Amino acid sequence: MTDKMEEKVALQTDASRNQGRRAFLKGSAAVAGGVMFTQAAHASSGFDPKKAVAPYAGKAELTEVLQDGAARKSLGFGVRKYPYGMPSPFEKEVQRRTLEWLTPDSMASITMSPIHQLHGIITPNGLHFERFHGGVPTINPDDHRLVIHGLVERPLIFTMDDLKRFPSISRIHFVECPANGALEWKGIQLNSVQWTHGMMSCVEYTGVRLSDLLKEAGIKPEGKWIIPEGADASGMSRSLPVELAMDDCFIAYAQNGEALRREQGYPIRLVVPGCEANMWVKYLRRIMVHDVPLQHREETSKYTELMPDGTAQRFSWYMEANSVITYPSPDFKMQGPGKYYVRGLAWSGRGKVAHVDVSTDGGKNWKEAHFTSVVLDKAWTRFELEWDWDGSEAFLMSRVTDETGYVQPPMPQMRKLEGTNNVYHRTAMVTWRVHAWEDGKSGGLIENVQY
Amino acid sequence: MYNTNKTIVAVSVAALLTGSAFAMSENSNGNAEVSAKIDGKYASNYAEIIKNADGKYLDKAVIEAILGEEATHGRNGMVGKLDPANPYSFEVDDSIDGGNHGNAQCKIPKAFVEVHESAAKNYFDDDRFVARGFGTPIAETALEKWNISVDGDGKGLPDPSVGMTIEEGGQIYVQFCAMCHGEFGEGAKGYLALAVEEDLVTSSFTDPAPMKSVGNYWPYAVTLFDYIRRTMPFWTPNAPYIGDAGYLGMAGYILQSNYLVMDDEGTELEDDTFFNSEVLMKVNKYMPNQGNWFCDHRPVIHNARCMTNCPDDQVGWDGTGDPTQYRQARKLPDGTPQYNVPQRLHEDKPGVGHAGM
Ligand code: HEC
Repeated sequence: MTDKMEEKVALQTDASRNQGRRAFLKGSAAVAGGVMFTQAAHASSGFDPKKAVAPYAGKAELTEVLQDGAARKSLGFGVRKYPYGMPSPFEKEVQRRTLEWLTPDSMASITMSPIHQLHGIITPNGLHFERFHGGVPTINPDDHRLVIHGLVERPLIFTMDDLKRFPSISRIHFVECPANGALEWKGIQLNSVQWTHGMMSCVEYTGVRLSDLLKEAGIKPEGKWIIPEGADASGMSRSLPVELAMDDCFIAYAQNGEALRREQGYPIRLVVPGCEANMWVKYLRRIMVHDVPLQHREETSKYTELMPDGTAQRFSWYMEANSVITYPSPDFKMQGPGKYYVRGLAWSGRGKVAHVDVSTDGGKNWKEAHFTSVVLDKAWTRFELEWDWDGSEAFLMSRVTDETGYVQPPMPQMRKLEGTNNVYHRTAMVTWRVHAWEDGKSGGLIENVQY
Repeated sequence: MYNTNKTIVAVSVAALLTGSAFAMSENSNGNAEVSAKIDGKYASNYAEIIKNADGKYLDKAVIEAILGEEATHGRNGMVGKLDPANPYSFEVDDSIDGGNHGNAQCKIPKAFVEVHESAAKNYFDDDRFVARGFGTPIAETALEKWNISVDGDGKGLPDPSVGMTIEEGGQIYVQFCAMCHGEFGEGAKGYLALAVEEDLVTSSFTDPAPMKSVGNYWPYAVTLFDYIRRTMPFWTPNAPYIGDAGYLGMAGYILQSNYLVMDDEGTELEDDTFFNSEVLMKVNKYMPNQGNWFCDHRPVIHNARCMTNCPDDQVGWDGTGDPTQYRQARKLPDGTPQYNVPQRLHEDKPGVGHAGM
């Protein structure tokens, strides 16, 4: 050990000793406080235990002796019963779901994530929403290749191992189908957040920066667009301007710490943070650098927005800031007047969420909610607001403001400008009508209504 | 159509900002900052204005400072973004000046300063980069089978010697496609129609959404060839037994079913027309709906973040200010509000939603 290092160690132990002592003193006070210093503590803090538990006054006390369940009286199962773990059977209702009548075929269809049953900001891999245009292939990663070609100095082919040799990045991002909320354009049809907002998920991706790979091949100056393409039956293709590709796109091989699931593009997919999920080409096998966009069916016939005057909007890449209250929502019932913690999700395709405000009177007055999760770029953010419900009819709404200063609009404004035939990018607020309690006659009904 | 020459007009940005709730830290000393304008309309120092506002490029006050007050009010703002010189426009000059048959391009708006900065940092400004060499070089010819992209200009189409008559194309279509898309493209079993005659202008918001298809909606005919060769027939895509000639013939048949034309005289495709890449490119020029497209113009609504007593147009049904006026989902006979009611009451056939998605 050098002198300097010894000195450092000595200093550190001194500091930590002091810290330890402080912690000990604090801790002992807290522990002892319960027994010895109760009176003194109460006198100084003003805490009145009787008042604190007052809401329990008058509630009948349970007197029946609690019995032990089977779990307490017999051994549980041993290790490796499930080499790949599964949720408790009691969670079997937590599933992604589809509406059979939406599409004639399950190979070109969609399922929605049960977002009212999720917590925090990460979607478990098995509950990630699905959107297929040609079914799910099962690809052997040893046989899979990625090619970068077209207007590049040096066309290149990569194995999956080659890709993993590159510097890696891990990022948490939401991924959202632009048709999320589509069924609400023509008034409301569905009474569940899973149906109104479930075409999205939020996971942690790990992969290689697209800019690193494109630099590796060297884009020629006339290369203005990149055209990614999938190895599946749909041969999915879109056109991305080079600036977007160089901004923060990457090619992911992992999702929430494990390999991508087949439903999400195993072995590799493109990640285009903040942009519509159709551009996040799955089973990626080819990136063509090109001078003009492809005008693929998925950027002309579909994923374009018809306006009331018959014109149509194209290349609508970004997902606008959006938010939804996931509790209480039409999936739940109110339990009677009293305190509730209104919770929900907010996200923006253009950066971080800055504020979420909640209204209980249909948008006339708002209160700012606080965040209960980390606030990340182009990722779900959890918000919560305490609400004292007096049992009268209420109209719950959430409104996000993102770091660009964009404020989520109400539906009438959006409808007035864009009509109701857009299909995609319906990002205006939704309203949950909490029925008046009326001594429980309403059954605690929460209803999706539209303004 | 639009004059993109930059006309320089001196204005005071400070004056533009007067009365807005939004404060610019650097300019709050009262000095009138003199700035130029693009086309006499947009503040040319938009990047600076955005930077001074902590990057809030979609803040109502920032947009008003850059584009003028009109830009944050309804349709004016939408229309303004059709001008490629507008810093918030996704539009590229080509897509307008190139005319109907040009391969329309869109771009990331200049006001999205952040995106451009990060792209520059990650790529364009990296003059020290040397490849890591983890990949393997590959010849472009090795991609002959994989490269099936045909762009809006028709680059990537088969040689004009490849093709067949529309009648022959129709026979292949009936064999491989009609069971799902109908013999004349009218659709079947809930699968998409490929030829409809529907007006896309909406007279009433409550009417069903118009069906969009090749003839009345698609801006390019080349897309049809690229797409069907890539993905159809649905169960066995990119079929070698159909081949380029077969896919061209079927594309011709679908275009004919949509009554599309190939010249100013309105000449339609005949059964005995030999349909090849040249004829396809002619039709590509005369797609009826191609002039009706524009690049992303969002966001179109710029509200201030109102906290109390918000204006009526932001409250209640149709912005009438009354929160107790609303639309509900239809109910089942037992009174439960439910989804999919017409289908469950057997009023509508299942499979209705697909045309929209
Ligand atoms: C098994 C039924 C089936 C058959 C057979 C079939 N298709 Fe399709 N077709 C589909 C489905 C499903 C889609 C939509 C796919 C999606 O959503 O990604 C589609 C989409 C299309 C579209 C795009 C329509 C639009 O408006 O965007 C075209 C064009 C098309 N098919 C042409 C063909 C041709 C040509 C053939 C014969 C070679 C064919 N299809 C055979 C099921 C079928």
